[in-house]
Amino acid sequence: MNSTIHCESPWPHRFALVLVCVTFPLIWVGGLVTTYDAGMAVPDWPSTYGYNLFLYPWTTWFAGPWDLFIEHGHRLLGALTGLITIALVIVVWRNEPRRWVQWLTVMALVIVISQGLLGGARVIQDARQLAKIHGCLGPAFFALATAISVVTSSFWKQGPQLEIIGNTRSLYRVALFTAVLAYLQLIFGANLRHIPVTADVGQFRVALFFHLAGAAALALHVTILIWMVFRLTQPVKALRRPVSLLALLIVMQITLGVASWIVKYLMPISAEGRLREGGFVIEADGLLQALTVTAHMAGGSLILALSTMLALRAVRLAPSGTESSASFFCTSSRLTELTT
Amino acid sequence: MQCLVMLRFRTLAVLFTMALVAVGCDSPKAEFHLDRVFLHKTFGEPESREEADSLRNQVQNLKEVMVGLFGNPDEPHVPQLTDLDTTTVLDVGLIEMAAGRVASDEAGRGRGLYREHCAHCHGVSGDGAGPTAAFLNPYPRDFRMGKFKFKSTPLGVKPTHDDLRKTIIDGIPDTAMPSFRLLDDDEVDSLVHYVRYLAIRGEVERRLVMEVMTELDTGDLILDPEDRSNALVEENLELVKGAVATVVGQWANAASQVTEIPSPPDQWDSHDSVQRGRDLFFGSVANCVKCHGQLALGDGETGDFDDWIKEIDEKDPASKAPDFLALGVVEPRLLDPRPIRPRNLRTGVFRGGRRPVDLYLRIKNGIEGTPMPAAPASGLSEDDIWSIVAYVRSLPQEPISRPEVQVEYTRERL
Repeated sequence: MNSTIHCESPWPHRFALVLVCVTFPLIWVGGLVTTYDAGMAVPDWPSTYGYNLFLYPWTTWFAGPWDLFIEHGHRLLGALTGLITIALVIVVWRNEPRRWVQWLTVMALVIVISQGLLGGARVIQDARQLAKIHGCLGPAFFALATAISVVTSSFWKQGPQLEIIGNTRSLYRVALFTAVLAYLQLIFGANLRHIPVTADVGQFRVALFFHLAGAAALALHVTILIWMVFRLTQPVKALRRPVSLLALLIVMQITLGVASWIVKYLMPISAEGRLREGGFVIEADGLLQALTVTAHMAGGSLILALSTMLALRAVRLAPSGTESSASFFCTSSRLTELTT
Repeated sequence: MQCLVMLRFRTLAVLFTMALVAVGCDSPKAEFHLDRVFLHKTFGEPESREEADSLRNQVQNLKEVMVGLFGNPDEPHVPQLTDLDTTTVLDVGLIEMAAGRVASDEAGRGRGLYREHCAHCHGVSGDGAGPTAAFLNPYPRDFRMGKFKFKSTPLGVKPTHDDLRKTIIDGIPDTAMPSFRLLDDDEVDSLVHYVRYLAIRGEVERRLVMEVMTELDTGDLILDPEDRSNALVEENLELVKGAVATVVGQWANAASQVTEIPSPPDQWDSHDSVQRGRDLFFGSVANCVKCHGQLALGDGETGDFDDWIKEIDEKDPASKAPDFLALGVVEPRLLDPRPIRPRNLRTGVFRGGRRPVDLYLRIKNGIEGTPMPAAPASGLSEDDIWSIVAYVRSLPQEPISRPEVQVEYTRERL
């Protein structure tokens, strides 16, 4: 990585931001499709009930059943995301001198095409396992779009700020690990959400255990990250803001996770039943249930994107070429101290 | 130190691989399973290898007969009987709407409704052992015994179509059973028919297991596909048809056996009536106090089990459950055979409904599959039952039913 970037065009960053802004609603709508089990509301692909995707009568789409509305909407939004990705590739290849950034956009294009094909295969084969993989690849694309927006931003172009960050050059390793953990946790969540009806109680128990353990590990990691960021000798807004937001999101996400369980199954097991004697009746597929569960799913993607942004900023702030195995082990020992 | 770092990254690699494997794992094809707890209880442990082999053949044959009669979760069949119209109980169109994989068409007509809304808790076979079941309290209903708690018919009689509809639409308060009031009418009907289909399938299976045990010689198959001319096969075919007809007939007759609810007498919820209900509650005839306790907090005689748990063992299910788990049967009731808890009547939450008629039916008919008995035919008049209803309805209004007052009450007692 060069320490200074000579790229004056603001368009790559603008397009990357647009891509991020379109992908998040796409993830929401995709989550709604799973929440309402509407993946097979349109049985053909890439057409919609025989129509070209873009020519499906909008009156039927809007006035039709809810499942059709969200599934077709998800496809349209997906297509729009694909088109924006193509535009981003063109803009970046024309205006961005860094070869690796150019290839990063190509990677995004490959992922978005694969994601579309996966979605189509899920429909054509009516395969729920493909839906699960589709659900895991979507957030990965969202994280990549975020990464592109970070590396094309003016912040990135300023280069490393050695004088600020000199005492914490290993911070980025923790940040990177947090991003990886966020993605792992997302996979555990998808595994729980897409558990097949043919699974037995043991499989559900294992899936739930991993998701809860992942949540605990991620929360711990974010706590460590906050501690590391806020103990820097000088306040670095570029890190403090996202890490604070990340902490807030983790709290929100844990709350939403508990709420998702409650709106689906009521309070967790209580042998005495005391906790649950309020006469509460769950409303299946009600607005509260659908929004809570989908928000929890979307929150996971947001945490992944934010931790990716944080990791990249930390990488950028760290002095390049000065890290040694000694500094790496130093981080590790510090972590060990913290976690034990 | 270096080891710690390596361990950290190795852990990460292992976790990642596990996550990817979990994502890649394919789900097995949906199929109905035989009730292995009932099978094992009925046939017992085979004493020799030959006996084990012949039993395995009989069970395999039974499984094939069940598939022949009822199909599979993706393509359900409704058994046809010459002298009984099964369509009133089992509507093929509605059953197909609930069966199979989840999908919907351009008009919004859903398919696979059972798998979409019910199977995660109640299981594909209706065995109450879906993936989430172990985490729920109470456990989701196992339909295969054909017993349903909240209904308008007496003990031993099947619930009506409307009884099942009511449970699906209203849900059950303070349990994981949700209200499906947002579903269309035909979707709810479809689920009712499918639940009945699973219940009938389960009951027929139980009857056939008993027939194999009592009527057939060791090693005899219930229907031998290679021996259609044999008179024994014809006889067994009648046996199978008889089992189906008996079960379907019971369901078809449910509507004609609905308990008539007399109008409550004048002033049925007056102070005097409540007082009379209280006397009956504590009296030896109704003897509600025995289980619901002196304070009606559900803290009377506890430690009893419902019929689903009792099937493991009447007296000590916890000690017998490991035997079934060792056979590889993974059901929540085996993992933790919980005792049933009498209702705390002071919360005002009644799972079968809080209307006076709901309470009347619970007291009059009892609750199927649980220790809650029906009101004794002699000794309790209709008016007496209404008085008990009035007393039960008054309990949540009493000062000690409110937590803040309960603390003071406890202090007073102390």
